[in-house]
Amino acid sequence: MASKKSLVVEYLKFEQMLEEISKGKRIDGRKLLETRSISIEPGVIEKANGSAKVKLGKTEVIAGIKIQTGSPFDDTPNKGLLIVTSEILPIAAPWAEPGPPNEEVIEIARIVDRGVRESKIIELTDLCLIEGKKVLAVFVDISVLNVDGNLFDAASYAAVTALLTAKMPKYKITKEGEIEDTGKQIPLAVNLIPVSTTMALINDTIIVDPTLDEETVMEARFTLTTIGKDTICAGQKGFPGGFSPAHIELALDIALKNGEKIRQKIKKSAELEKKK
Amino acid sequence: MSELLSSKGRRLDGRKLDELRPIKMEVGVIDNATGSSYIEFGRNKIIAAVYGPKDVHPKHMTKTESAIIKCRYHMTPFSTGTRKNPAPSRRETEISKIIREALEPAIVLTDYPRTAIHVYIEVLQSDGGSRCAGVTAASLALADAGINMRDLTAGCAAGKINGKVALDLDEVEDMEGDADLPMAILPNLEKVTLLQLDGNFSRKEFIAAFKLAKEGCMKVYEMQRNALKDKYFGNKEA
Amino acid sequence: MSEIKRKYVIPGELVGKGSYNRTSNVYQIEDKLYSTRVGMAEVLNDSLRVIPLTGSYIPRVDDLVIGKVVDHSAFAWEIDINSCFSGFLLAQSVFGRDYSPARDSLTKKFAIGDLVTTKILAFDRTRDPLLSVSGPGLGRINQGEVVSISPTKVPRVIGKKGAMIKTIENYSKCRLTVGQNGLVVISGSSEGIVLTKSALDLIDLEAHSADLTQKVQYLLSESSNGEKE
Repeated sequence: MASKKSLVVEYLKFEQMLEEISKGKRIDGRKLLETRSISIEPGVIEKANGSAKVKLGKTEVIAGIKIQTGSPFDDTPNKGLLIVTSEILPIAAPWAEPGPPNEEVIEIARIVDRGVRESKIIELTDLCLIEGKKVLAVFVDISVLNVDGNLFDAASYAAVTALLTAKMPKYKITKEGEIEDTGKQIPLAVNLIPVSTTMALINDTIIVDPTLDEETVMEARFTLTTIGKDTICAGQKGFPGGFSPAHIELALDIALKNGEKIRQKIKKSAELEKKK
Repeated sequence: MSELLSSKGRRLDGRKLDELRPIKMEVGVIDNATGSSYIEFGRNKIIAAVYGPKDVHPKHMTKTESAIIKCRYHMTPFSTGTRKNPAPSRRETEISKIIREALEPAIVLTDYPRTAIHVYIEVLQSDGGSRCAGVTAASLALADAGINMRDLTAGCAAGKINGKVALDLDEVEDMEGDADLPMAILPNLEKVTLLQLDGNFSRKEFIAAFKLAKEGCMKVYEMQRNALKDKYFGNKEA
Repeated sequence: MSEIKRKYVIPGELVGKGSYNRTSNVYQIEDKLYSTRVGMAEVLNDSLRVIPLTGSYIPRVDDLVIGKVVDHSAFAWEIDINSCFSGFLLAQSVFGRDYSPARDSLTKKFAIGDLVTTKILAFDRTRDPLLSVSGPGLGRINQGEVVSISPTKVPRVIGKKGAMIKTIENYSKCRLTVGQNGLVVISGSSEGIVLTKSALDLIDLEAHSADLTQKVQYLLSESSNGEKE
């Protein structure tokens, strides 16, 4: 078992963090509700149906989309499949080890999945080719390349940007009732842009977009995914501490505002990519 | 048999038989890693990272007189034509082993007794020849990590398409061609530490492909040197 | 004065021929010597060495290192010294020969998360480094900020007979403790710490420059003058 001892935050640094927070700042100079610099790069894996690399401070993540044909589930014969996975690659941190995902990593995939599913960014019935026989399966695979906190948001932005810029083959149904690739490429039908905002609670104060150090000392974490100026579609609280009702209300406002801001960023990157 | 070679001797991507694909290399790309590199061989996109030397787990695998190298070559699910299951395949396990065996002769293992040096190769996009690109990236990552080495390891493949010996096959050429010969060498010590053959060669063809691949490796080595120079020597090469 | 021959090298490159009394980071085949690292090869009289530009810290006896307490057993503290090997500080060396786990609490002396200045007491290839906090200037660090630099740059941060540290301390009005393992403790005003960090960044970037000292002095004097507005 690789040691997570390297994650121990020096007591002096922790004291400094608390001091800065009481003054409304963080040790990297940010304000309490400020996110780190975000870079979004769609189309990095040109052989995949869609892809995006996101850098959130030093956290770096790639999402790749593969769209393939398959059979629908028995209980949903007219719906396509959406499968979201995530992996912290062993290159990403000294304690990251190859192997099946642990509970933390699985949580990331499920939160991103929920944000995507509940937002109805893709209408699964749109992915049906021949009811009961052939549907499209959309795989969203997220690989973390470097860990410095807030993997949730980085993964979510990468997945959404990749979906927004994804292309797939246009299929037609032949006279014999089989599907045929027409050779044309069409964009994946995507309706909206869910954006997640992750917040941490340190010393009874909410901060946005925690670094790894901040995550190591935080009491609790809260992620909210929004799809518009007034719609929240997913939420997840993590870690043993607790938020007060006042914190939760504040978190809602933060997530809605931050969501709008980042939504514009993602939209812009996606539009630039589509023009290519 | 598809036409991989035009009447004018041009390949599907326009290259001549003895031409390498465009190659890009960068050292020091993963912040958390002890050493790392990023490489593009044509459409192959690969990151390599090194962690360690560090304690060995499980403990019983510790060697008292030398380091052990743990190497993992892995493809992300979106790196291949058909989506790949994230779990390691037999192919990845085999490639991990041959890459490790290509790197080990270059590393001064006895300088790091009772430790493990971890080498991770992640293929983000694959397009034929990824093991050669992978071992090349891994060697850069080891140099970046400051691991004592007798030489770098430079990789390049040659093969045969439409009956003609060719350098650096891409995925289509590998699948539809007649033979593939991935190779890696220690350039200064002139030792071949990775060699595999898939397909049929006559003796003459094998020698020709071997020579071509070796020249390719030397070109790759020059690029490795430049990549390290860019990061460490600034503009001030003495 | 003897000529120093210098050349940038990568692993496997030929550095020299013949026999030398002192060598480092090279290996020999017959009469030829090759570099094992990315670095600057330097040949002077009977010494041939490659000054590495890469690599993590390998402990040496008597080195001063800054460490972080990450764990403890009943008998020792485990200290992260920014190396591939964890350092150990024996409870006995701190509490004395008649140390008793039941009576003497390790946490009271050094808790997990504490930063300490220590010396490498013993280290050989068969065991993890043993540390000591007995001595002037050693022990827990109670204030200041720790920054990490590449261990290969430490000699330039210290400078000839400590000249570079003195220069930085004079301008920033901070106190610096430089560990051979690449960790540096800076204590002083927050402006002073920011100034010191920028100086360290510059040294990291320009360590191979011949006029590094001038560059650092220029940076420090410009910034301090700016501050006086």
